[in-house]
Amino acid sequence: MKIDCRGLACPEPVINTKKSLELLPDDSILEVLVDSNASRENVIRFAKNESLSVSDEITQDGSVKITIVKGFTCEIAMPEKNEDFLDKVLFLKDDKVGENELGSMLMVGFLKSILELPKLPKTIICVNKAVLLTTADENSDVISVLKTLEDKGVEIFSCGVCLDFYKVSEKLKVGVVGNAYGTVEALFKSKGTITL
Amino acid sequence: MAPGELSHAIGTLKSSNENLIIGMEASNEDASVYRLDDNRALVQTVDYITPVVDDPYIYGQIAAANSLSDVFAMGGDVATALNLVGFDGCNHKAEVLNEILQGGLSKVTECGGIVVGGHTIETPEMTYGLSVSGFVHPDKIYRNNTPRVGDVLVLTKPIGMGVLTTGIKADMLEEKAIIKTADILAQLNHKASVIMREFDVSACTDVTGFGLAGHAYEMAGNNFTLEFDFSKVPILSEAIELANMGIIPAGTYNNKEYLDLHVEVKKEYKDDIFFYDAQTSGGLLIALRECDAQKFVTRLKDIGYEYSSIVAQVKEFSGKSLVLI
Repeated sequence: MKIDCRGLACPEPVINTKKSLELLPDDSILEVLVDSNASRENVIRFAKNESLSVSDEITQDGSVKITIVKGFTCEIAMPEKNEDFLDKVLFLKDDKVGENELGSMLMVGFLKSILELPKLPKTIICVNKAVLLTTADENSDVISVLKTLEDKGVEIFSCGVCLDFYKVSEKLKVGVVGNAYGTVEALFKSKGTITL
Repeated sequence: MAPGELSHAIGTLKSSNENLIIGMEASNEDASVYRLDDNRALVQTVDYITPVVDDPYIYGQIAAANSLSDVFAMGGDVATALNLVGFDGCNHKAEVLNEILQGGLSKVTECGGIVVGGHTIETPEMTYGLSVSGFVHPDKIYRNNTPRVGDVLVLTKPIGMGVLTTGIKADMLEEKAIIKTADILAQLNHKASVIMREFDVSACTDVTGFGLAGHAYEMAGNNFTLEFDFSKVPILSEAIELANMGIIPAGTYNNKEYLDLHVEVKKEYKDDIFFYDAQTSGGLLIALRECDAQKFVTRLKDIGYEYSSIVAQVKEFSGKSLVLI
């Protein structure tokens, strides 16, 4: 985009520059034409204050062309993610906590309670019978809770071998297939492992 | 008008007689002074400005304060004032003009003067100000280029007004800050001038269109070096934010271009553009004995000049008239 701010008195050149930058998508270039030292200094000051890369050159007729690059906003999701998560792994070996129906209810109850924590665990790993949680019925409570955890950024891994063993590979509804190495790495790298 | 251009335009005008104490040739001075008799001299000054705020009454007050200031800078008292109006009647109702004039009147009354008339013409751009007449004792005129080595300089109002008024035009200042700015702009230098007469003051000027640097240069000439501790110069924080965003008026850059060859920068300041920032209705820059300065600042703060500060030292001329430390 090019804007001509020649002949405009302060603060118009800066205002026009600001407005144009707001309209432009990321990774765009704005060229501002000015014809006074005051305008040149002001537009450059403005751009630098916004941490934008700016350069200027004198044109053929003596005016100054200022080039401003509107960079892309770098969403560094990973580091942010780490700050909001506990560096801990939830390691599940079974689809219930203890025996029978109570065990299943407890598992769901436990997972729901995790959602209430101020900071969630970074990773949930399901091995052996725990893969029945990530492959449970679409409308079940457990899938609903696990999907919520996933939406909040918790990584959920289900052991590939275990999925095959229980013949539920096609039924994975939440998270991704993990592998032994990945599992072991996660367990040893984290600050602590919780097993139910 | 840019300082260099102005000197060029009026440089060859000559007019004088034996009663003229201060006239055009003393272009550094704030107002003219004409002897009437042994005890009284007539002080005359004129000034007008375009709007700096949206409210017409407050604009009137600020323009009047700006015009009256030069009389106080000479150590004089205001007697009468004439309104000078350029009114944009196409876009504004007559009530607006009344508001402006009421604002101006309030300030003339505040310092004991009276408004005795004026003149209005239709103009595309609004202007308002006053032609002011006052009196001063011929032996008690405060000139602006007579500081003494060893004196210190006190500034009574903060700077940054050029940037702030530009920010107001750009709609980039919030209401609270606009009110704060307007209050400072409308504040008269009258009371400061009265208090200053109780102290051993060697020189006084008001800080207006040429910025702190410009008016300090008028004080120093090539006879003194004024060493400014820039960290002590009061600048409104809202002004600093705006300046960072490039909201700096052309007048300020003009001042810098004209003055920076007279300035030695011993310490870099990120905000040193404010040294050149054109002021409207600025404060008084007063040179007085160092031993009295703190007491003077306390007196000033007590009666409402809360930003008063000791900002510089007067030294012997050492190559450049102004130094930033």
